Amino acid sequence: MFKSTNLDMFTFPFTNYKNKTYRYSNDLVALGEDKVNFMKITPEYQAQIKRKRELLEEQPEVRYQSFPHTMEMQWEFVELIIDLAVDKYPEHFSIEKNGDQWTFSNHILGEKETFIFGDESSISLEPYDMIGRHFHHDYMLMVNRDDNFYLEVAQESFAALFSPHWNLGMSFNEIHGPVPFVSRDGVELTDRIRKFLLTIEPGAPRTRVNWNLMADRWDVNYETMDIWGPEREKVTAENAGELVHLRVEEQWFVRMPRSNAILFVLDTQFLPLEDLVLRPEWLEITYFNLADIPDYMAEYKGMAPFLPQSVEYLKNLIDSLKVK
Amino acid sequence: MYSSPVLYDQSETIKEKLAFNDKRKKHLIIYDQKAVSDVKQVLAKDTQEELEYEHFEIGDSIDLQALRTLLYSQKMGTHLYIASDWDHAAAVFAEAIEAGFTEDEIQTIIYGPKRRYIYCMKCYQKSEINYDDEVQCTHCNAYMEVGPFFSKVRKGYIGYPFIPN
Repeated sequence: MFKSTNLDMFTFPFTNYKNKTYRYSNDLVALGEDKVNFMKITPEYQAQIKRKRELLEEQPEVRYQSFPHTMEMQWEFVELIIDLAVDKYPEHFSIEKNGDQWTFSNHILGEKETFIFGDESSISLEPYDMIGRHFHHDYMLMVNRDDNFYLEVAQESFAALFSPHWNLGMSFNEIHGPVPFVSRDGVELTDRIRKFLLTIEPGAPRTRVNWNLMADRWDVNYETMDIWGPEREKVTAENAGELVHLRVEEQWFVRMPRSNAILFVLDTQFLPLEDLVLRPEWLEITYFNLADIPDYMAEYKGMAPFLPQSVEYLKNLIDSLKVK
Repeated sequence: MYSSPVLYDQSETIKEKLAFNDKRKKHLIIYDQKAVSDVKQVLAKDTQEELEYEHFEIGDSIDLQALRTLLYSQKMGTHLYIASDWDHAAAVFAEAIEAGFTEDEIQTIIYGPKRRYIYCMKCYQKSEINYDDEVQCTHCNAYMEVGPFFSKVRKGYIGYPFIPN
């Protein structure tokens, strides 16, 4: 389990703190020029890549899925990812092109990928899987058809109730249907987001920040529900600081210019509740927001079994700081 | 195509009994021996002169060659009615989708039980189930709660694994 150590790079989710309250919204916003490029190399980069690759090696069926007809889109993805990486971090990544013969260098890891662009036989993995292993995000490619989006390629290592294996081929609405432990409150929101996604144009990605609490685990997928389901019960007001993590999912929706597909990028970040003391204003805002979560939302987010303990922990922490 | 509809127990095409869609020009009725008397009764009673009817009877087994020829030769405006047991219906349904029919153009009337499947999220295998809320995987024995979501790609309902108390 890793956590964010450079808090200047952590996406703190409660930006509506003036009201000291939190509700769901489809707040997909346009991006400032500095945020259009979603590449982000944090101090956790190497640890995340190591873990992501382990998961892909150990559980290929769980972590990576694609349809055979997606190869052209996969190469479009390769080009996009390399362009963004080289553009933002020329000191870390570089690309050399001799016609279709490309060499991508990852200077952080000291690795090179040499391939013939557009020729799958020149590499051992699928193109999307190959380049995705150099970056810590989860990547979902959704093809636009009949006013909906269908999941055709996915590489994932930090799933929250998502499974490339199960969700392959599903529409945006099917994937975001109510998840376990939930009511049906998410449905209307899902459809609003779907309609919004239809308006996204190439070169103008949108972003959205989602958050949750996780109990001692970064990976809560369907395949391991039997394990993490009961584990949520072990949180107490004493151990919540260490076990419970604020899980932030910064999402990007990028229109691919050639295929017209939407690339859905997730940057998942974790901060244990105990680290909130490093930013006292965050601690207080988080406490006010969590204390205000309605029951239905706690159920929907799967945090109901340990939310009261987490709120109590934060309250005790704030009180102890005041005493000092 | 992976997103093509499949017949499953909550398919919108499933109806209680055969009822002709009077907005269509032609009615194609495919039925097996379980449905034969009902179909003949409806045909004797509800047919209208200006509409066209065609039927195809399934005997002991489906003559696939004849079925395909029939489905592919249909023109726009044909409504398909499948009246049979589950296995015959599933086979005809799949052939009809392959031949270009959409769910809006198909009515399915099932004789006998409908089949349901669960997709195990532990071993990624499919098991046939009844209407219990909790079941065990017939391949890996994992306990699963039967979820409400159906995958057309995996052809089953999601099975959420749990460890029984």
